[in-house]
Amino acid sequence: MGGAEPVPDGLVLTRYQGAPGLTTLDGYRKVGGYRGLARALEMGPEAIVAEVKASGLRGRGGAAFPTGTKWGFLPQGVFPRYLAVNADESEPGCFKDRVLIEEYPHQLLEGVLIAAFALQASHAFIYIRGEYRKQRELLEAVVREAYRAKLVGKRILGSDFGCEVVVHGGAGAYICGEETALLDSLEGRRGQPRLKPPFPAVKGLYGQPTVVNNVETLSNLPYIVTEGGAAYAALGTEASPGTRLFCVSGHVERPGTFEVPMGRTTFRDLLELAGGVWRGRRFKAMQPGGGSMQVLGPQHLDVPLDFKAVADAGSSLGAGALVVMDETTCMVEVSRRLVDFYRHESCGKCVPCREGTYFESQLMHRLEEGLASAEELASLADICAGMDGRCFCPLGDTATWFVMSAYRMFKEEFDAHVGAGHCPVRASVGAAA
Amino acid sequence: MAESEVEASSPALASGTLERLRELRSRYPVARSAVLPALWVVQDELGYLPPWAEEVVAGELGLLPGDVAAVASFYSMYFSRQAGRHFVQVCQNVSCALRGADELLAGLREWLQVDEEGASPDGSFTVEGTVECLGACGGGPMMQVDRYSYEDLNLDSARAILERIREDGGGGAGA
Amino acid sequence: MGEAPAHSDLVRVTVDDREVEVAPGTLVWDACERAGVFVPVYCAHKKLEPVAVCRMCLVEVEGMPKLQPACATRVADGMKVRTLTEQVRKFRDSNLEFLLLNHPLDCPVCDRGGECDLQDFTQRFGPGRSRQSIQQKVHFDKAIPLSDKIFLDQERCILCWRCVRYYEEVTGEREIVLQQRGVHTVVDTFERQPLRSQFQGNLPEICPVGALTHAKYRFRARPWDLRRTASICSHCSYGCNLFIDARDDQIARYASSDNEDVEDSWLCDRGRYSFPEYNGRERVTAPEAVVTGGRQVVSHREAVARAAGQLLRIISDRGPEAVAVVGSDLMTNEEAFFLQWLARDVIGTPHLDHRLRPTPHLDPADFELGIAGIEECDLILVLGEEPERLAPVLTLRLHKAATKRGRRVERLQPPYTWTEKAQPQRVGVISSEVDRDAGVAIRDQLRGAGHTAQLLTIMERVNSRGCQDMGLLPGWLPGYVAAPQAGMGLPEILQSCATGKLKALLIVNPSPELEAAPEFEAALRGVEAAVVVTPHPGAASRGASVLIPGRTIVEKAGTVTNTEGRVQRVRAAVEPSLTFPTDLRTLGELAEALGANLGVSPMATPVYEKLAAAVPAYRGAQAGMRARWGSPG
Repeated sequence: MGGAEPVPDGLVLTRYQGAPGLTTLDGYRKVGGYRGLARALEMGPEAIVAEVKASGLRGRGGAAFPTGTKWGFLPQGVFPRYLAVNADESEPGCFKDRVLIEEYPHQLLEGVLIAAFALQASHAFIYIRGEYRKQRELLEAVVREAYRAKLVGKRILGSDFGCEVVVHGGAGAYICGEETALLDSLEGRRGQPRLKPPFPAVKGLYGQPTVVNNVETLSNLPYIVTEGGAAYAALGTEASPGTRLFCVSGHVERPGTFEVPMGRTTFRDLLELAGGVWRGRRFKAMQPGGGSMQVLGPQHLDVPLDFKAVADAGSSLGAGALVVMDETTCMVEVSRRLVDFYRHESCGKCVPCREGTYFESQLMHRLEEGLASAEELASLADICAGMDGRCFCPLGDTATWFVMSAYRMFKEEFDAHVGAGHCPVRASVGAAA
Repeated sequence: MAESEVEASSPALASGTLERLRELRSRYPVARSAVLPALWVVQDELGYLPPWAEEVVAGELGLLPGDVAAVASFYSMYFSRQAGRHFVQVCQNVSCALRGADELLAGLREWLQVDEEGASPDGSFTVEGTVECLGACGGGPMMQVDRYSYEDLNLDSARAILERIREDGGGGAGA
Repeated sequence: MGEAPAHSDLVRVTVDDREVEVAPGTLVWDACERAGVFVPVYCAHKKLEPVAVCRMCLVEVEGMPKLQPACATRVADGMKVRTLTEQVRKFRDSNLEFLLLNHPLDCPVCDRGGECDLQDFTQRFGPGRSRQSIQQKVHFDKAIPLSDKIFLDQERCILCWRCVRYYEEVTGEREIVLQQRGVHTVVDTFERQPLRSQFQGNLPEICPVGALTHAKYRFRARPWDLRRTASICSHCSYGCNLFIDARDDQIARYASSDNEDVEDSWLCDRGRYSFPEYNGRERVTAPEAVVTGGRQVVSHREAVARAAGQLLRIISDRGPEAVAVVGSDLMTNEEAFFLQWLARDVIGTPHLDHRLRPTPHLDPADFELGIAGIEECDLILVLGEEPERLAPVLTLRLHKAATKRGRRVERLQPPYTWTEKAQPQRVGVISSEVDRDAGVAIRDQLRGAGHTAQLLTIMERVNSRGCQDMGLLPGWLPGYVAAPQAGMGLPEILQSCATGKLKALLIVNPSPELEAAPEFEAALRGVEAAVVVTPHPGAASRGASVLIPGRTIVEKAGTVTNTEGRVQRVRAAVEPSLTFPTDLRTLGELAEALGANLGVSPMATPVYEKLAAAVPAYRGAQAGMRARWGSPG
């Protein structure tokens, strides 16, 4: 273990950190930008896919599916094909894609073009969440600049390959981060997940083969193409190759994003990078992965950022977040807040999610206010059992994960709310202060 | 609205907006894909999406008005009513809440004297009640005013930002 | 539809230890049904694409970690499905609790009570009580009139989307859409604009709960008050199968059946809501006859005797050709066949007809294309608006052919021509009877160009096709055999009555057009004898010398033939409030009184045997088959 300081040499996504003018084409070219694209066009699609497979890159949107394998699902000889870029970053606690767009937009575009060439996609659509309005406008400007420089459009860099890139703004719907909901939204529909199969690789956007990749995933491609898949993989461990941009927020001294090698870094390292727990308080709990994922406690601080190790601890690295909670935090309140979020963001398509998140939310409000009976609290597990694994898409399933894990880990705190008439945690923090 | 009123006022979009809709339509292999961008353009002009504008968008994209309304009502950032001149969102999700978002929101509401719909009496601001995580967890508590984010706020700094925006009319550079 | 696959193509599936063999690609839900295992479902519908949103049908599939939606999962060989495990039972209980969280407690005033899937499944699979307080329910709008036909109750809606998908997939009109999101989602029209579709009446039927209800059935009956009879819609020649739900002697509603060869389970509003015409309309209640000094009520036996006496006197004085016989295309095949026999063989007159508008020269080759066959055509040419105006449900078949089968549908405007050159393909041509000649010309031209072309001619009324097949026409015997002597058609008959050339009329079940025609009244005044069998008072009953009460089509049994030649049964759904013989029996008694030996009991089944002997195409077709006319000569 160790490696508390990210080694500049070991950086991929943020390797140009501090270079001036990176949001302009000139600035990006000065640090070597678009060499990866030129290299990719020489390599040809098969060689790129091979490098990506060799890199061990796994999707950074949360599901961690191997990117090269995902690309391999496209049926042979079926055109047109599309690339959809998932910039709908909406997972509570996640803001890494925003950073990659704001600070390295050309790196993302280069990655998009490399992927589009590898997939022989005619169009790439960057679906960016509605709340990222300023970032959308930045991306639009970057794409316009790239069109003028013949990096996008017909005959890219003089090759036979052409690809149109469209920046497409969402309008406030967490569910559009789910890849099939994103495609429906991109088709001008209500962003609701689709029935699978068929999978997007076979029938995606407009019924054509489509790959949906996350911003961070694609931002790695210029490095992988220029430095090689093996070099990328070596930055992490065999089971968790490469680096990852983690978002640390909540009760820490210096919240922010940190690019660290996978597998060789622990939660404690991340916490230290963010300056530790704020105000000298004690650590109570953390939520890795984003709003969907299960809570972990102090006993998990030395778990490495490795897919399997975190899964064994009972949670997931998800979309690369880490929300830190200090000793004053009421776990019932945090649970209620997340449950409310899912109730608000449920698309309404399936019964267990639409009604279950509402049921959960009603119950958690009563519990937080100390109004719920023991019988009501006991029904929480039933409600969650009726949702988890029963919903149309993961949104409804995950709406139960944090609250159920918190209930298990902090059962006494939940029980103390029953019939209390107020929040006992807040009351005791108030008394202590 | 009575039919005669509709005919009398005959609301319409600016011709530039219509041109923009047609340009958006041409970007996509299938015209329907332009619905979300088209609604953004219309909302930027009108401040909200009245039914007549949904009908205009439907007509431009070869859809039925119901198709457009079904889409518009799904996304929380499209407004069916006229909002204030500036739209204020205070993220209340966990990361921001851990750092005082509830107190910030309550303080701003009280200071702006907003009503149940979240509108301030002078029409300058509408404060949105429920906000999705705004993706600025590293700078919580934060607020977004129109298209710009302001991070690491406390009630004083947030009030100062809103005062400046009210006076300037513009959104400033953001954080 | 289609041939059952050969045995070796089938896959074996086990549902709760019952093994069934089904075609590959079958949905688990269908396999369960085949195995006789009931799986509750709200969102799935046989005519709509699966969406798997209600989750009610989740079942265990061996080897899969999560419960799977039976409505959207395809079978695989050797698959083991379990629908009764603890896991499934608990989930059904949970899901029903979820569905009831925000459902109002207004079953006692809901039209759907007693036939509601939410009630039924809750009884069978659901929780006994709710754990959420009633104060926490989300409220929506109730009793919204979406049109003069349909009410919407958003609170009762369980968001199965069937109505939205029906409008998207079946009619393409998209009048009802989803709005808002999450627990606030509702179905609604744009800005509450009224529905304009001519197929709205299907909405309450596909709705699994009481969210969409019929205005005409509002607070009318409970399902256990109703007697259900399978029959045929009498409103056009398309022959839609339906159920007639009657309460006492009143029809409460028409409900869809599912004959995928004909209506495919969809009715048009014109047909579905036509039933009030049979409720409470004024009836001819007793036989009457002109006796010296005026018309008076007589017994049925005397009425028949007097009718025969009047006809026999004229036949003997003026010859049989002084008598004309008029039916209508509201009659059954058995009645039409019997009536033409009575005219030709008993009375001995060639003057018989059944409609005012002249019948174009139609032959069985004009109806080769079947309704279901429309979907199999690569190209479908529809001549003008008349076919779909006559038979609205045709529009849905054309939409299905275009959207689900990818067929090309072209609606031509007059003058009808088709000049496009293409590789030989299968082409369907659909015309109304008025444009029949143009339809024949285009079909023949396409055949000449190497295409496989078939024509379907849409006729007007419920049994227009059958009356023609049965030879209730001047000049044509049953089965399109030319009559030895061409008689007068209806317009000429009426004229000849007025001028005194014809002396007697036998009128059975006159059509509304005939009743409304001024020349009909003149004709009735001009004849010496007018024997009328009719259910309703009108010009015919007023001008009758002998009047015998008749039955409406919902009060009798027999067969009718739809426009594609499909022979389907109508059944007595209501009894006339007064007892009198069937029209067929009345005609049988009249024939006997005229001296004929019937040789058959005047009831639908034996008469059908007789007509099938005369028209071999009808042999064995009475159970809903298309008459087999053989290849066109």
